[in-house]
Amino acid sequence: MKEMDNNYNRRQADAKVPPVLECCGIERRFGGIVAVTGVDLSIRRGEIFGLVGPNGSGKTTVTNAITGFYPPNKGSIYLDGKDITGTAPHKVATLGVARTFQNLALFNGMSVLENILLGRHIHMKPGVFPTALYWWLARPEEMRNREVVEEVIEFLQLESIRNELVDGIPIGLKKRVELARALVAEPHLLILDEPMAGMNQEEKGYMARFILDARAERGISVLLIEHHMDVITGICDRMLALNYGEMIASGLPKEVVKDPRVVDAYIGGAHG
Amino acid sequence: MFYRLSGVHHNSYVSESRLYRIPADRNLALFFLALGLVAPLLVGSLYLNSYLLPWLVWTAAALGLNLVTGWAGQLHLGYAAVMAVGAYSAVHAAKFGIPWEFALLIGGISASVVGSLFAFAALRVKGLYLALTTLAMQFVMDWVLTHSPAISGGSHASLQAPTFALLGQPITSDIGLYYIAFSWCLLVTVFMLNLRRTGLGRALVAVREKDYAAAILGVNSFYYKIVAFATSSFIGGVSGAVLVATFFFLAAPEQFSVTVSIQVLAMVIVGGLGSTIGTFFGVALILLAPGVVNGIVAKGAIALGLQLNVETLAHIPTATYGALIIIILMVEPLGLGKLYGNIRDYLMVWPFDQLKR
Ligand SMILES: Nc1ncnc2c1ncn2[C@@H]1O[C@H](COP(=O)(O)OP(=O)(O)OP(=O)(O)O)[C@@H](O)[C@H]1O
Ligand SMILES: [Mg+2]
Repeated sequence: MKEMDNNYNRRQADAKVPPVLECCGIERRFGGIVAVTGVDLSIRRGEIFGLVGPNGSGKTTVTNAITGFYPPNKGSIYLDGKDITGTAPHKVATLGVARTFQNLALFNGMSVLENILLGRHIHMKPGVFPTALYWWLARPEEMRNREVVEEVIEFLQLESIRNELVDGIPIGLKKRVELARALVAEPHLLILDEPMAGMNQEEKGYMARFILDARAERGISVLLIEHHMDVITGICDRMLALNYGEMIASGLPKEVVKDPRVVDAYIGGAHG
Repeated sequence: MFYRLSGVHHNSYVSESRLYRIPADRNLALFFLALGLVAPLLVGSLYLNSYLLPWLVWTAAALGLNLVTGWAGQLHLGYAAVMAVGAYSAVHAAKFGIPWEFALLIGGISASVVGSLFAFAALRVKGLYLALTTLAMQFVMDWVLTHSPAISGGSHASLQAPTFALLGQPITSDIGLYYIAFSWCLLVTVFMLNLRRTGLGRALVAVREKDYAAAILGVNSFYYKIVAFATSSFIGGVSGAVLVATFFFLAAPEQFSVTVSIQVLAMVIVGGLGSTIGTFFGVALILLAPGVVNGIVAKGAIALGLQLNVETLAHIPTATYGALIIIILMVEPLGLGKLYGNIRDYLMVWPFDQLKR
């Protein structure tokens, strides 16, 4: 994983382009609870950015603020320099943001293939008339998009289960299907909320490889939430640590993980 | 057995996305299509027009409700009201001299407009509240129909439908009317089957299953719910109009009362939410079973020489029919469509039924 540092230095050189994502002073409250406050973060093009923190420190809340599920009470969010604060989730998706959920959000009752095809939604124009006149209107579009989906299925090695119902496949594969569904949307920014939770070392290795390849082949920027510090230091270019909703450290992973406040939060906090 | 996956290879995405991927399924579907086409040669006009025809039209209607309730997951208790809008608009348009082809279209469009306007207001609430709001729509429609002679056709509250005609040719024969119903049911069925393989169908299921996950994929749930209501109301409206034009011959408010709404919902639920073939079964059961049970009970009573009084005779079929529905839903809560699916899946792996999932 050493070569990643070189990659990072190379990208440092063209840091002039506006950041893919920029959050300024994000605050989000739920009733009396301040879930996050004063969070600034900026993700550069092609960067893998890590977000860590003990349980309940507000990581998911930050992603929910970005993707419009829980708009921030204070602060602004810019995507490619454009203000998207408070934009509804389905619109954020059309702007090129894809995400996976901490607690899996696949559609049960549908096959792996159909789930991934749904990721192409923003590139398609589904409607009543295309459905009624399937052979003339919908089929060409479906087939074109099927090809994009098949590329990602091959990339993530899901060929053998593409016609299985998602209900029955193991959790590690479910996480991969969800990644596939996010990737087929061809996002600029991919937000992964604990994509490796509950995975064994081998599956984690695969997932890390997929994320690195996705960045390398598709030029995607990634916001990665993860509890596994080895993964964060292994594949992230920069990172940010939260505790009780506040930023406690940010910068290069190898420096942040040594920061006394981060060590404290993890050892003293709920997370062992 | 019969259904086989082995030896079936698809070498293009087009071939893999056919409506029926398994030859046995396709053959069965083609067989029933052919049966429907030659039915007038096989059964007398009594059966054709008093059983087969209403079965087909109600199936088309129930498929429309299945779109909104089964696919999009929105409980709808005012579907008969939507059918009424379609039926009355079409009949009035036809009386006005507009050709029936367009009158049906007008019926469908006005039902669609009313249905989606209503949904626009109703969709601010979810689940049971939505169900209650749609029920309110039904009551409003009942009231309007019984209180406005201009719509419902004067003091007798019945509106004679002009003779059905296509391309200026009046269609009066039993066979002609049957084919009208058959064609409409076929169109709706094909549409519903196509839903399984298009982005629209996937978007509707996504909205039903997990609206937040749908949203992050760019699916606007409100928009797709409205689309579901509009489309289902169109189907319901045209079905209502076809029902009046080919079966009732006159429109009356009680044909579209709240009882009817609940009956159509029962057809969909017994048939199976989201299941097209199940809807055919469900409609058959709800529509035809009472008559059949009635016949059996009456004949049985005579054969056994039992002296049943009129009241008992009237109650036994209703009770049997209610019990039948309960038994079916207890055996398979997902309805007759799923029951059929289970049998098919079993046969698919037979005799290796340990593979059964
Ligand atoms: N929808 C909500 N309503 C009320 N409180 C919420 C909501 N979402 C989050 N919170 C609160 O905000 C705080 C931060 O939660 P969040 O889910 O962002 O933490 P997290 O860092 O993602 O934790 P984990 O590692 O467990 O996923 C918690 O105290 C949580 O209880
Ligand atoms: Mg979280």
